[in-house]
Amino acid sequence: MARTRLELIEKIEGEAEVLYEYEGERISFAQIRFLNSRHIEKILQGREPLDALVINPRVCGICGHAHLIATVRALEDCFERVPLSQKAEAVREMTLSLELIQNHFKWFYLTVLPLLGLEAPIQRALEPSRLAGEMIALMAGQYPHNSYAIPGGITGEITPVDLLEFRARLERLKLLFRQSLIDVDLEAFVRCERIEEMLSKEGDLPRAMRHILKRGWERVGQSLDHFIVFGGGGLFTEGKSIGTRLQESINLRYLKEEALEGNAAKRVSYRGRYYETGPLARAMVLKTPLIREAHRRYKDSLFSRILARICEVPRLLRYLETLCDGLDLSEASYTDPGPFPASAQGTGIVEAARGSLIHRVTIEEGRISRYQIVTPTQWNLGNGTRENPCPAQKALMGLQRNDPAELVFKAFDVCSVCTTK
Amino acid sequence: MRLLWLSALSCNGNVHSLLNYPQYEQWQKGFEWLYHPLLPSLHTFEEVEDGVKGCDVLIVDGTLEQNLLKHRRPFSELLERYATEAKHILTVGTCATFGGIFAKGEAGRTGVHFCGEARRGEYEWFWQKSISLPGCPVQPEALAGTLSLLAAGEPIPLDELRRPKYYYAYTVHDGCTRNEYFEYKIDEHRFGTLEGCMFYEHGCQGTYTHGSCNKILWNGLNSKTRNGQPCMGCTEPDFPKEGLWSTPKHMGIPVRMPLGVPRRAYLTLAGIAKAFRIERFYKPLMEEE
Repeated sequence: MARTRLELIEKIEGEAEVLYEYEGERISFAQIRFLNSRHIEKILQGREPLDALVINPRVCGICGHAHLIATVRALEDCFERVPLSQKAEAVREMTLSLELIQNHFKWFYLTVLPLLGLEAPIQRALEPSRLAGEMIALMAGQYPHNSYAIPGGITGEITPVDLLEFRARLERLKLLFRQSLIDVDLEAFVRCERIEEMLSKEGDLPRAMRHILKRGWERVGQSLDHFIVFGGGGLFTEGKSIGTRLQESINLRYLKEEALEGNAAKRVSYRGRYYETGPLARAMVLKTPLIREAHRRYKDSLFSRILARICEVPRLLRYLETLCDGLDLSEASYTDPGPFPASAQGTGIVEAARGSLIHRVTIEEGRISRYQIVTPTQWNLGNGTRENPCPAQKALMGLQRNDPAELVFKAFDVCSVCTTK
Repeated sequence: MRLLWLSALSCNGNVHSLLNYPQYEQWQKGFEWLYHPLLPSLHTFEEVEDGVKGCDVLIVDGTLEQNLLKHRRPFSELLERYATEAKHILTVGTCATFGGIFAKGEAGRTGVHFCGEARRGEYEWFWQKSISLPGCPVQPEALAGTLSLLAAGEPIPLDELRRPKYYYAYTVHDGCTRNEYFEYKIDEHRFGTLEGCMFYEHGCQGTYTHGSCNKILWNGLNSKTRNGQPCMGCTEPDFPKEGLWSTPKHMGIPVRMPLGVPRRAYLTLAGIAKAFRIERFYKPLMEEE
C-alpha cells in the first residue's frame, strides 16, 4: 500500500491541496485539488453582454486585466466587424503587458526567492508592481479591477501629458529591472544565448539561478515537454511545441474541457494531449535564445521555467517602448460598433502571466446564455491519470525526499482563484 | 499591532490592492502579519487553523458560503475563533461586507453582517467591534488608513453600515473631472473622450455611491470616471446590478436620483441648469478658447 500525504499549498492566489502518493521516499503520483468555486460562468448567465466587462476582471485579483481583455475580445468577436483604432489596440496591449510585469515581479520575489531560502526584500516586488499599476491606471483609470476596454475601443482619452507620466515610469521600471533582477543591457539580454553569461552578472536572477545550480536542482521538475500558446498577435506567437518540434498553426476546435469530480478546476486537453502553457511555453514557441539553451541543457525543468518567466520582463519593457513610440494620439480611442447583436458567439484569447486564457461567449436574445473560461491553471495544474498526467503532476512525479517539491509546483505559478469558476 | 487576514471566497483583489498602497513599506512597520494570504507572516495557514494567539485586528475578505471549508476546518469556525479574540474586525471588500459578486453564484452566500442590504443576525455579537470597508476591491488608502487610525487609538466616525466616514461620507461623484457636465445636465456622452457625464446614458452610479475614488485617486493618479468608465457602484450593498452600462429611466428621467435629491427638486433644477446652454461644454475641451 502506497503512503499518502495531503499538503496544503498556500501563498498562491488562494490555496490548493496536493495529495502526494509515495513509493518509498519517492513521489509516485500527485493529485492537485482546488476546493472552492465562485461560479463566475454561472453568474454571467442571463446578463446583458456588457456586464461581463465588469464581472470578469473579478475572476482574479492579479490577472483581472487579462480577463477584461479576453472578455472584450470575445464580445467584439460577436460583431460582424468592430472598427478598432490602432491606438485603442496598442493601449490595450500596453496595459496587458504591464499586468504581466507586475505578476512576474511578485512571483519571483514573493514566491520563488523565499522557497530558495534567499533574502527577498518585499519592496523589490512591491515598487515595480506598484509602478506597473500606476501605468495601467494612467490609461485605464485604476488597477486592479477596471472595465476600460469596451467593444469599439477604450473608454478614456490619452493626452500627451498621460504619455509623459507613463514614459517616466517606464524608465524607472527599466532601472529597477537592472538594479534588482539582472544588471544587463535590456537589448543585449533579449539576444543573450549563453547561460554562463547570464550567471556572471549581478542581480537577484543570476543569484537565484546560481543557487539552483549549487543545490543541484537544475534538472528537477521536468514535465511533459509539450508547450502550447494560443494568444498570438502581440508580443507572442501562437503555436505548439513538442520538445523543440514547433507547429505554428493550432485550432481551438481541438480543445476539450472536462469536469472532474471533487475538483473545482476542469481539465483541458488539445487533441487529447496535455500541454504546458505560460512563459516557458511562450519562449519555446518564440525560440528565445537563452531559454532554448536552458532547455537544451536542463529540459523543461524548474530552472528553465523560472528563467523563462523573468526573461519575459525585458521583452515586455521593450515592447512597451515600441508601443509608446508608435502611438498616434490623434486616432480615435473609441468608435461606436453599433448595437450588440441579439444572437452571436465570440471567442477572446490573451496571453496572461500564467499562460493562455480563453473566453467564449454565446449570446441569445440579447443575453449571455453561455460563458466559458479556460484558464492557464487548467492547463498546467489539471489532474490526469498515473499513465497520463498533466504538466505539474508529471513534474512532481519521481521527486525524492530532498527535492524541493513545493518549488517545483510553484514554478508553474499556481493560482487557485482562476480555477474557481 | 497584529493583523490576521482570512479570505473566504475571494479573487485576492483586496490583497493585491493593499500592495499598491503608495506608503506600504513605511506603513507596514507599525504592523505585524500573524497571517496574510501572500506576504511573509509569522504563521502558516495550518497553524492558523490550529489556533494562534495575539490577533488585534481580524481582516476578513471574500464572500461567505455555508459550510465553506478552507482546508481542514470550516471557515465559520476560524471566523468565530478570531473574532472572539480580536479587538476589531474589518470586513474588507464588497464580498465580505455585503456578499458582492460571488453571492450571485449560489444561494446562501453572504457577507459577514449583510446579505445585500439586509442585516444578518448570525454575527450580531461582534457587530459593535466591526468596521465595513466595501469596494471591489477596497481602496488601499481606506484599508491601510483605517488600520493606522485604530493603531493610534483615534475614534473613527462610522455610518449606519459601519463604514468609516473619512472614506465613505463622500460620493464617487465628488471630485470627478466630468462634474460640470452633470451640473449643467448635458446628457450627451461618448466613450473615448475627455468630455461628458455618464449619469444620463451609461449607467454611472457615482452620484449615489459612497466612496473616495475621486478624492483619493486610485494608484495615486486616476479614477474610473475620470477615465470615462461609469461608476458601477462597487462599494454599495446592491453591487452588481443588472444592465450596468445603461441608465434605467422613467419618462426619460434617470430612475435613481443623486444621493439625497428629491425627484421633483431634481426636475426643477435640471430645467434651470439646461437653460444655461453653456457653449464651451459642447466643444472638445482641447479646442475650447
